[in-house]
Amino acid sequence: MAGEEHTKWVMVIDLDRCTGCNACVTACAMENNVAFAGEEENAYGRGMHWIRLVRYWEGEYPEVQMRTMPMMCQQCSNAPCEPVCPVFATLHSEAEELNIQVYNRCIGTRYCANNCPYIARTFNWFDYEWPEPMNYYLNPDVTVRRRGIMEKCTFCIQRIRRAQEEARLEGRPVRDGEVQPACAQACPTDAIVFGNWQDPHSKVRQLAESQRGFKFLEELGTEPKVIYLSSQRHEF
Amino acid sequence: MSREGLTRRDVLKLAGVGGAVAAVLSGCGPMAKYVRRRPYVEQPEYALPGKSVYFATTCRECPAGCGLVVRTVEGRAIKVEGNPNHPLNRGSTCARAQAALQGLYNPDRARGPKVRGGKAITWEEGIDAVARALQDTPPEGIVFLLGLAPDHLAELVYEITQALGAPPPIRFGALAMVEARQTLAAAAEAVFGQKAVPTFDIAKADLVISFGANFLETWLSPVAYAKAYGAMRQGHPGRRGVFVQIEPRMSMTGANADLWLPAKPGTEGLVALALGRLMAEVAGVEAPEPFAQVDPAQVAQAAEVPLEKLEKVARYAVQDVERVVALPGGVVLGYENGVEVAQAILALNGLLERLGKPSLVYFTPPAGGREPLAPATYKELMDLVDRMNAGQVKALFIHGVNPVYEFPKVLGFEEALLKVPLVISFASFDDETVPYAHYHLPDHTFLESWGYQRVQVGADREVLSGFQPVVVPVFDTRATADVLLAAVQKVGGALAEQVPYKNEVEFIQKQVAEFQKRNDGIYQAAHPKVFWALFLQHGGWWTQEATATPAQAQVPTVQVGEAKFDRGELHLVVFPHPILADGASANNPWLQETPDPTTTVMWNTWVEVHPETAAQMGLENDDLVLIDSPYGAIFASVYVYPGIRPDTIAIPMGQGHTALGRWAKNRGANPIDLLGFGVNGAGDAAFGQVRVTVRKMGRRQVLARKENTVGVYGDGRYQPVDKRKEEEEKVTSTQE
Amino acid sequence: MSTAPSQLRKAVVNVVAFAVLGALVLGATWLYASQRVPPQPLEFNHYVHVQQLGLSCLYCHSNAPRGQSAGLPQVNRCIACHNQLEPKSPATRALQKYAENGEAIPWVPVAIQPDFVYFSHAPHVQRGISCQTCHGEVGQSTVAQPIKNQNMGWCLSCHKNMSTPERFVQLSSCEACHK
Repeated sequence: MAGEEHTKWVMVIDLDRCTGCNACVTACAMENNVAFAGEEENAYGRGMHWIRLVRYWEGEYPEVQMRTMPMMCQQCSNAPCEPVCPVFATLHSEAEELNIQVYNRCIGTRYCANNCPYIARTFNWFDYEWPEPMNYYLNPDVTVRRRGIMEKCTFCIQRIRRAQEEARLEGRPVRDGEVQPACAQACPTDAIVFGNWQDPHSKVRQLAESQRGFKFLEELGTEPKVIYLSSQRHEF
Repeated sequence: MSREGLTRRDVLKLAGVGGAVAAVLSGCGPMAKYVRRRPYVEQPEYALPGKSVYFATTCRECPAGCGLVVRTVEGRAIKVEGNPNHPLNRGSTCARAQAALQGLYNPDRARGPKVRGGKAITWEEGIDAVARALQDTPPEGIVFLLGLAPDHLAELVYEITQALGAPPPIRFGALAMVEARQTLAAAAEAVFGQKAVPTFDIAKADLVISFGANFLETWLSPVAYAKAYGAMRQGHPGRRGVFVQIEPRMSMTGANADLWLPAKPGTEGLVALALGRLMAEVAGVEAPEPFAQVDPAQVAQAAEVPLEKLEKVARYAVQDVERVVALPGGVVLGYENGVEVAQAILALNGLLERLGKPSLVYFTPPAGGREPLAPATYKELMDLVDRMNAGQVKALFIHGVNPVYEFPKVLGFEEALLKVPLVISFASFDDETVPYAHYHLPDHTFLESWGYQRVQVGADREVLSGFQPVVVPVFDTRATADVLLAAVQKVGGALAEQVPYKNEVEFIQKQVAEFQKRNDGIYQAAHPKVFWALFLQHGGWWTQEATATPAQAQVPTVQVGEAKFDRGELHLVVFPHPILADGASANNPWLQETPDPTTTVMWNTWVEVHPETAAQMGLENDDLVLIDSPYGAIFASVYVYPGIRPDTIAIPMGQGHTALGRWAKNRGANPIDLLGFGVNGAGDAAFGQVRVTVRKMGRRQVLARKENTVGVYGDGRYQPVDKRKEEEEKVTSTQE
Repeated sequence: MSTAPSQLRKAVVNVVAFAVLGALVLGATWLYASQRVPPQPLEFNHYVHVQQLGLSCLYCHSNAPRGQSAGLPQVNRCIACHNQLEPKSPATRALQKYAENGEAIPWVPVAIQPDFVYFSHAPHVQRGISCQTCHGEVGQSTVAQPIKNQNMGWCLSCHKNMSTPERFVQLSSCEACHK
């Protein structure tokens, strides 16, 4: 039956295209009802960004160079966060091969965040407010998290499931490029591409075969599902 | 268009008002933050509960005019997405567009018409006031001050002013000032023979040489340029475009360059000429006149740039690659000789053409052949202030711009405003200018508005980008065009005959109908109503094929003299914040929460200081400093920034609001207060000539940064904004 | 000032006892509130419409096969028939008033799920699952009542019984309902 073959969602991020503009950060927050924590909380490192731009400086002035790398949950196949959760709130979805967070199970031990080498998880230290009428824009497909709950990037699971649902109702498989997480959709340079690894003709599959491809902290054995394509530099 | 054309009311009824009925009241439980669902009186055909409806419209967060598709569910706007077919942004958006819903649903928006002091009035009274102003004021005393968007409102206001015999509207904004748009247009006239802002086709380029243009952040049409940048880097298999940036402070754009050359401020024009001379030498031809006048070795020394790097760039451009483009923009044009600097940089394109390279510069053809009104220069603004001070301006209408915040203090706009007997503001927010207005008649935000915009730059074809309301107005606001037209009808007589539109939508439909005759658009329709429906459905009208043709560049004779600077210790670069830009949307909390790309600072203003300079002055990250220019002073926390010249500091615009709303007010500082300047040959502001002194205050104020949290605990612990403000005031008062 | 250990212990016990009691009371209230039949703005009689007149569920809840929510009846749908009937009962008079004023009837949803549960009618209805399977015989009752124990185990048992083992992998995955 269409849409029921095995899927393995992967994301390819071309760092040579990425400019570090942060459009993905805002897009993610608006799609996923991510709370804004304010200046003080951010100064304490309690910002709720599901995706962030990791920035490195290389070299000394005037040869200095900035590099950025979008970082979010890598949806590890062998995820360090999963075995430490005492209540199975973070676990592996067999269906989508994704690492999922079940908010109504989470009791806020934060073990998972401590065990994540990518620092991809954020914790709701408080109940954050969307003062009326700002709550009007909250996405009805995504749970609004409350205090004491861990959250993280879901690869926009609500969009994956919506596309699957629509495809099934129309009796066809999910097309390549039909599912786009908010970050990939917004990206002004098309640096982020999302798709099904099992489809040999998918764009992600072709991009991931590039020689520039690498996985971040792969040596830890986490088997991430985000593939980065390294940036290049012409030396003058 | 026939008189039976759809009225605004009809279409609103069609377009999701059912949703409004169905919308939206309180949450349904202590935990629920969602909006509760309500049943319909009459469910519209397309609005299935729980199913999304998408509306195509146009972004107005900056003047570029990208196409958007907004997802709505039961009358509420849920998510902004890019319009995949729009020729500018092709489905992508920037951070500002994404956060636009927080502007639409902002609790600090103006909720209805009022008079100075905050007393609410009815819309009838407001329209009466506008009508009286149009009727009783001598035409030469009426001034419309509009924002930068080349939209339908500017065209309607132009028609009204023509009918009245009043001067045409003045369009201005801080972005135009720091982008030096008129300077660029003036230089383009000398090089390409067309007085307009050119578009640089970097998507096709093998080598991009940019002088200060921050085209990946806020410059002219940032999403279109970012899209082209991606294509330049990895869009052509086996041919990766290379990018060189020359500017004193590493912008986010510069941070993506293969080579970043921090030339000494004021020498950028000479560097361009030296580069041209080196290119000619590599090609073995005689350097044309402007390039021949410089000695590359001397220029390299004066600019503190390695000659060898310039030689390599010249050799790469001439020998190794085919398609090369040089573009000027932003801070390097902010000198009194800015026009000459821009000409020298653009002349490189002419030289490259002489060396047999294809032209990668074109001009966006104006939609329908109608060139939008050019933005005003700084000089015209100074003239306006003079007229206001002389009491010649009797009625001032302000829309789409926030002069008290955006205009430099040294201009004296605030004082001049007090001398205008009638000021009417149409701002959607209670911004800094509203307290000076006698009437505040708030406009909708763009997601509730009708309209269109003629894309001026960034597109390779004619684009008329259309807006439509994606939701019914959240508050008791009214479209400014409707207010003006209602006032015109109230005045009646010759004015109403010359401006004969019933309402905003009728005006827009009349303009859009002109495109129905065209057969080169993406759609055709025989009936005006069908054409209008297609216009709304596609989010505008544009031609099927790209029609822009490469512009042929000349090599003009140009003398690039010395740039003049004020006295002071350090050069000052004031740049548009990569996320907040000019700060008009600083009250959208997710824009504040989105980290700055290069420093990762959120929610505040920082000042970038080179590590060596910081060490000499004994400054560390988060140290509070007073930055003093001959025109003003501000406080900011230090960010030690490796990508800036040691003799330069840089401060982002966008913060330092004293109004606008809870998330923007009393946050950071506004560096525009430090500016004061002469004008260049095109009448634009020479904002780059300011120099400042930096004084350590002996206290730390921690910036919220995404990169790390070191220093948050213990010494220099973060302090909430209110307390910080208090202490700053204490410091200021002890200094006096 | 220091507090004697015994006093401290007493204070702690008091606080804990109070908290437990409070939690019990709150929990009981919540349980009561969530299980009781909510009062509706007007007394709509399902039995008359479904059993006596033979209307299908989808006539009023027309969105179920296409959308996420089945939809609460719109006034125009009611008035299509009721404008030909003389309003005799208080309920029909109330209906007429809503219609005259152009107001929506503030129906109170009966079958509700918590915020962290995502449910969509369309895939279920399109698979041929009848309304009664989940909502019971609403047509036999006069006033709609919430179905007891509409909980996760109940969802899952059905997902298991009515699908293939391969499909159950997807249907039992947490993210099917919790996003």
